[in-house]
Amino acid sequence: MNTTSRLFRWKYPYDTAGTNALFLRAVRENCRYQYEHNARYRAILDGRGFSPAMLRTYEDIAKLPFLPTLVFKRHQMYSVPSWKMPVTATSSGTGGQFSQIGFSCGDLLNGLHMVLKVVNRRKLFSACPCNYVVFGYKPHKSNHTAVTKTAFGATLFTPQLHRTYALRYTDGKYIPDLEGVIRAILQYARSRFPLRFMGFPSYTYFTMRMLDERGIYLRLPKGSKIMLGGGWKQFYREAVDKAAFYALAKKVFGLDDRNIVEFFGAVEHPILYCDCPRHHFHVPVYSRVIIRDVNTLEPLPNGQIGLVNLISPMVKATPILSVMTDDLGVLHDGASCGCGIPSPYLEIIGRVGLKDIKTCAAGAADILKEAGASV
Amino acid sequence: MILAGGRIYPTDEQSHILETLEETICQTRMNETLDTETVIDAIDVLGRRVAAGEFDALIGSLDLGKAAEEMLASVKLLSRGYLEKKVVTELGTQFFVPAHNEAAFGLPGIEIRPVPLGTLFHIAAGNLDFLPAYTGVEGLLTGNVNILKLPQADSGVTILALQKLVEIQPKLSPFIYVFDTPSDDLVTMKRLAAMADGIVVWGGEAAVAAARSLAPVGAKLIEWGHRLSFAYLSGDWQRKTDDLTALAAHIVKTGQTLCSSCQVIYLDTEEMDEIRTFCNAFLPYLEAARRKYPINDIGAAAEMTLQRYSAELESYLTGKRQAEQNIYRGFQCSLTACEDSELALSDLFGRLAVKRLPYDSILPVLRRQKGCLQTAGLLCDEEDRAQLTDRLIRSGVNRVTSVGHMSATFVGESHDGEYPLRRYVRMANVEEQI
Repeated sequence: MNTTSRLFRWKYPYDTAGTNALFLRAVRENCRYQYEHNARYRAILDGRGFSPAMLRTYEDIAKLPFLPTLVFKRHQMYSVPSWKMPVTATSSGTGGQFSQIGFSCGDLLNGLHMVLKVVNRRKLFSACPCNYVVFGYKPHKSNHTAVTKTAFGATLFTPQLHRTYALRYTDGKYIPDLEGVIRAILQYARSRFPLRFMGFPSYTYFTMRMLDERGIYLRLPKGSKIMLGGGWKQFYREAVDKAAFYALAKKVFGLDDRNIVEFFGAVEHPILYCDCPRHHFHVPVYSRVIIRDVNTLEPLPNGQIGLVNLISPMVKATPILSVMTDDLGVLHDGASCGCGIPSPYLEIIGRVGLKDIKTCAAGAADILKEAGASV
Repeated sequence: MILAGGRIYPTDEQSHILETLEETICQTRMNETLDTETVIDAIDVLGRRVAAGEFDALIGSLDLGKAAEEMLASVKLLSRGYLEKKVVTELGTQFFVPAHNEAAFGLPGIEIRPVPLGTLFHIAAGNLDFLPAYTGVEGLLTGNVNILKLPQADSGVTILALQKLVEIQPKLSPFIYVFDTPSDDLVTMKRLAAMADGIVVWGGEAAVAAARSLAPVGAKLIEWGHRLSFAYLSGDWQRKTDDLTALAAHIVKTGQTLCSSCQVIYLDTEEMDEIRTFCNAFLPYLEAARRKYPINDIGAAAEMTLQRYSAELESYLTGKRQAEQNIYRGFQCSLTACEDSELALSDLFGRLAVKRLPYDSILPVLRRQKGCLQTAGLLCDEEDRAQLTDRLIRSGVNRVTSVGHMSATFVGESHDGEYPLRRYVRMANVEEQI
């Protein structure tokens, strides 16, 4: 068994301290593979004056050149021929550009072991059939986004009775249908089988608010759960804090926060982060997080806010070994959570970008919009 | 929110108000006249009340942040002295008093009667919080009925300011209507445009193009588009340390987002070596200014850092290392030594290009940006100033200032080479009856 496979089969998924040596070896192997099989990756490492052999100690991982997600949006970066990639997935493409990431069979197998381990710890697998409301995209052959694939995947945690999607594909585009979702919820609430929600926190929240406004308060069947993933995306202005979200879920569905689970991941870092009972994203053994200074890109100590650099040797088919996200976050000491999981936990604070910049310089509005400003 | 007839209405009253708007405006135009003095009186009172701090709490509650500072700086534009000077500069004295041309050359005489254009539809941009109210005021000063469409990013200050103005002088109320219609509500935009004799549009190419498509044939289009500005350095720049400090402060403080912000620094030279020497010499000034006024927004700083890092990686992938080596980087700023001479938008936020532009090339090069030119910040030896100024103006530049004052406001200045008030009036002629 190779090093990466061993890492992905590690018994306790939050034993980051115990897997540092193994993680380093897996990173080195992956880096060497990418360097030898991907000319573009090699050009970047050569340009930065880095070679895989320089990964000698665990601390050297921070010196490995990281690739911003923009690189995957502008260039196809595959390290294996396309016939060796049974699955390719894309980012959501907010802003028109999206990353394309390919996965080999070995990559997918690693992923499967990880999902089984992480999801099992949160006791999300069950033999009891469930109804599903997906606050996300209904799968369609034109939709390759990872967020659609993972939302669908989450409906496989139990046998399914029905699936209702909030975003339906009609006339070439996705249309939100929250009224349809509310009708389904009212129907499923009368079922004796649990109801599970999976998908974007935004649509979940909007639906709960609609129910609240209409004075509809339900007691969902025992075992019902809310699973969240995909972030607030274009609705970041409407984002509410977790406490308000949980309070509303209790009010309209009668669900305690124990029954609310949130996932975090990205197509460029397809590691399943699952929140702990205290709703923190602890770093699993498959991943490491380096928070970097927003001006110098140097690593920061825990507790300080910066750019989120995610590292994982999971994927061979695409050089997503060390990627820089567009997120701003903080890494906290694991012990400060109190849930008992020892690994540090990641808190996402916001996104990079220029906000609310006003301009009258000719042509500047277009550039600023590209950088995420509302002008 | 909507302001109509001096009262504030919620947005959902829009269609109701629109139903009778044309008729209401017609009544106003048939029966009422607004004279400049009445408008100036009201604005002066408002300006003094703002300066006295009467609205500080209200302005604070709008969450304007940095814009509050800008707002208060704009108060001086609300003073009687400033407005009177503006009117006299743009329209001369006694503009609205009819004049007479005696019969001559075998032709009968006429009365020349300056009148407002009629109804102005202002499509305001959000680049300055104060701008939407200001364009409305320009329309009022010339006696027009004004329909104002707020920019999406409006902070709420426009309606507030205009409502206070109408409170001070109720005679203004039939002359000002404010709507917060989004630009993509084309049906409403067209309805508003159809009522206008003049459409005043502020904004970039997209906004101007959109306004052109809305405008009914017969409506006069008055376009205040986006512009580019630059600094021009000639002679012994090295010893002018105060000016270099002021230029660096201007670049950093405006974020290069204004029409008048420096996008390119031109040197009067043909030598790339001088460009490199300048980059090395000026970078410490720019960095010092940046440390004094850092980008504190962590998301913006991160965005800039990521852009810079991505550009570096991109240069490895595209093999364009040369371009990368011409960049002189400092803390939250950079200078790029460029081979070409084109005036182009910079990367903004303290990142700009340095280019060669020898005296004889000024006109041929700048001509290529005609319609886009605004300010030239000039740093030169005193004996060359007059000649350089003349050449810059002949090239199409509309403002020549010192390098530290590129974005300063001057008494009675034109707007991109024109006097707005003149564009908001027409000259009626009446044959004199003998």
